[in-house]
Amino acid sequence: MKEATAKRITDDLLRPLLHTSWRFFLLVAVLGGIVLMGGIAWMYQIWNGFGESGKRWPVFWGFYITNFVFWIGISHAGTLISAILRLVNAGWRRPVTRCAEVITAFALMIGAMFPIIHLGRPWLFFWLVPYPNQRLIWPNFRSPLVWDFFAISTYLTGSVLFLLLPMIPDFALVRDKTTGFRRKFYGALALGWQGTTKQWHRLESAMQIMAIAIIPVAVSVHTIVSFDFSMAPVPGWHSTIFGPYFVAGAIFSGIAALIIAMAALRKFLHLEDYLHPVHFENLGKLLLMMSLLWAYFVFAERLTTWYGNGTSEMNVFWATQDGGYSPLYWLMVVCNFVIPFPILSLRKLRTVTGCVIASCSVVVGMWLERFLIIVPTLSHKYLTYSWGSYRPGPPEIMIMISTFAAMGLLYTIFSKLVPIISIWELKVGEHPFPIETAAQVKEHAILRTNP
Amino acid sequence: MPHRWGMTVDLDRCTGCGACVTACHAENNIAVVGDVQAAKSRAMHWIRVERYWEGDFPDVRLKFRPVMCQQCDAAPCEPVCPTYASHHTDEGLNAQVYNRCIGTRYCANACPYNVRFFDFYNPKWPRPLHLQLNPDVSVREVGVMEKCTFCVQRISAAEIDAKAEKRELKDGEIEPACVQSCSAKALVFGDLNDPESEVSRLSRSTRGAKLLEELGTLPKVTYLARQTQV
Amino acid sequence: MSVLYALYSEPDEVQKAVDSLRKAGVPEKEIVVISSEPIEEYEFSHRDKATWLYWIAGGGGALGLAFGTWLTRMTELAWPLQTGGMPIVSWWPNLIVMFELTMLGGILATVVTLFITAKIPTRENALYDVAVSDGKILVGVESPTEGLRAGIQNALGAGRVVSR
Repeated sequence: MKEATAKRITDDLLRPLLHTSWRFFLLVAVLGGIVLMGGIAWMYQIWNGFGESGKRWPVFWGFYITNFVFWIGISHAGTLISAILRLVNAGWRRPVTRCAEVITAFALMIGAMFPIIHLGRPWLFFWLVPYPNQRLIWPNFRSPLVWDFFAISTYLTGSVLFLLLPMIPDFALVRDKTTGFRRKFYGALALGWQGTTKQWHRLESAMQIMAIAIIPVAVSVHTIVSFDFSMAPVPGWHSTIFGPYFVAGAIFSGIAALIIAMAALRKFLHLEDYLHPVHFENLGKLLLMMSLLWAYFVFAERLTTWYGNGTSEMNVFWATQDGGYSPLYWLMVVCNFVIPFPILSLRKLRTVTGCVIASCSVVVGMWLERFLIIVPTLSHKYLTYSWGSYRPGPPEIMIMISTFAAMGLLYTIFSKLVPIISIWELKVGEHPFPIETAAQVKEHAILRTNP
Repeated sequence: MPHRWGMTVDLDRCTGCGACVTACHAENNIAVVGDVQAAKSRAMHWIRVERYWEGDFPDVRLKFRPVMCQQCDAAPCEPVCPTYASHHTDEGLNAQVYNRCIGTRYCANACPYNVRFFDFYNPKWPRPLHLQLNPDVSVREVGVMEKCTFCVQRISAAEIDAKAEKRELKDGEIEPACVQSCSAKALVFGDLNDPESEVSRLSRSTRGAKLLEELGTLPKVTYLARQTQV
Repeated sequence: MSVLYALYSEPDEVQKAVDSLRKAGVPEKEIVVISSEPIEEYEFSHRDKATWLYWIAGGGGALGLAFGTWLTRMTELAWPLQTGGMPIVSWWPNLIVMFELTMLGGILATVVTLFITAKIPTRENALYDVAVSDGKILVGVESPTEGLRAGIQNALGAGRVVSR
């Protein structure tokens, strides 16, 4: 590779680390303020009692668990997709992997907060951890919530390491390219990386193994999240389809989040030369496939319920089809299928803007899906006398808004501290630059038709 | 052989008076949440009297069904608890350990009968009602689940008395507050492992049925009602 | 610690330098090639392929599985509490925890092995040049034996050798 190209990549990708405009501080201040308000809302709820949320008998799970499932679902974009693309050695993955893996790490951290926020006594959350104690009191391994703890902590550990390992050579590069406190800071993070052939081989083998290991873990995480529901003998939840259904939905919403994040990075960090329309197009095709898969699962689940015609199942079924929850239900169908399907299936509409519109719609739709899995079932259990309803309380709404701000905040700070595109991986791949030489034009065309 | 506590509810006798609900609140220090919270469906009636209308106007019948924790042998609420706050005792009761509960509320979601309740706020009693609290029952703080215990404090007290007096427990010696206060004698409590006890005899009645029996939760409460051929 | 190295722009030159070092009698293990990106297409980068890393990952997984089996069984038997009519040691749910700990064991074993064999984290590297980050490739020898110094300098190309 030409040294000039390498220099250009280095300069372009280090620019956000070295130059900071006032807009960055403004964004951090605004997002940080919203996150702080979410924290205050949580403290308010703890101080005054859990009744400040909208939970009531018999709907004991609401916005918090919806957000939990939603964020854990978002986390399925990054590491899983990056691992699959690494294993199949897809060349176009190179600029995408890191910004995808970051989504996983942060979405998991945010998602894992919700089971704690939703506890009646959140200060005792550590009782879920199997720590040795004198009275031999251990968590109950028969509880899906304990499975959640193990699955999420494994997935979080794995994906944070998966994100960090390829960052080490980039930190070494930043160390060499900077001076002063930055040099010290990145020098410490680079862990003394040299770049010997041995180190590169070990790193690549390790990444290969991690990619193999992380895929089954990711599948297990959202399956176990679905077990939180399907283990309870309650109409609408007690279903064997929930595992794959949740995994498909998680990847669906995850890709949508990834497209939105990539579009934001492309725009605000001026990475048009690195995140090409072809990347959005490829991810758009993946999103289209997941949209079809989602529709297939929903149809299978609905048809089985309707055909089986169980009394209590049908109560939940009709509550979502033409009852009180039907506006939300049909909005979900519109957002997850009716809007994204035409946009993503027509080549002319599958542009960067088109993919972002479809993705925003999917994110809204998938949030609604999680809400519609949880609340209609809980409000329509077997005994009609015990039916109920649910409206979120102010702290629930505030905390939910603040988690979206937290995602933005963490992502903004991360892209300020770490090259958001893996520099060394980009250099390894034959990276298509926009129309420069005849050879690159040809290369670009090949990538477009044969990604 | 250990005891196996159970109950029968005679629906043909129940008048829907609600004395059991009141007695339960008094016996078990159940917080009275007030009208605002009750309107938000946060009242905690460990036993409730469900009211159903049957038939079409003008040929309607009013039916009552007292529902409390069914003390299932295969209780869906127990295994889902991550901290063992909800577990099964040797005498077949669904125990709820308030101190161990962290308030995931998973048990309430898994319960098909919706008989588990959550303390949304710290309990308060308007004066002078705070003086009537039962010293044998702990008061629950905010954030924990609670539910019918079959008045386990009365069961323990009677068992300790019997042991001190070196005798067997007599049938009918233990009466949970709801059973004691039922003027129509619709509720009967006793040991299901004693084939001669009244509750065993009634449980075997052809009039008996379990609530949501098809779910396989193996409840220990039997509902008695006239069986009609349709 | 003394080092001898030279910087090259093209991998072809690096391959030649490595071959010349071998001819000069430098042991294979002492020849160090440092680059800012992995270079797969040349022989010099294939000198130490790590295939046993997969076995270590598998071993870590086996350890994780053993730990998961012990943890679930031991804790359930330590204070046996009945829940939902399930057996005290319930294998179906335990399998989930065992699976997660297996994967965690594999992942941690991989990362620990990577850190140990790649010798990170470390404080200082004598054999390094910031020019590597500009795309140069470094070939060098750390603490060369006195008798070999001249040979190494010749092999690397007398004009460009840096000695520290």
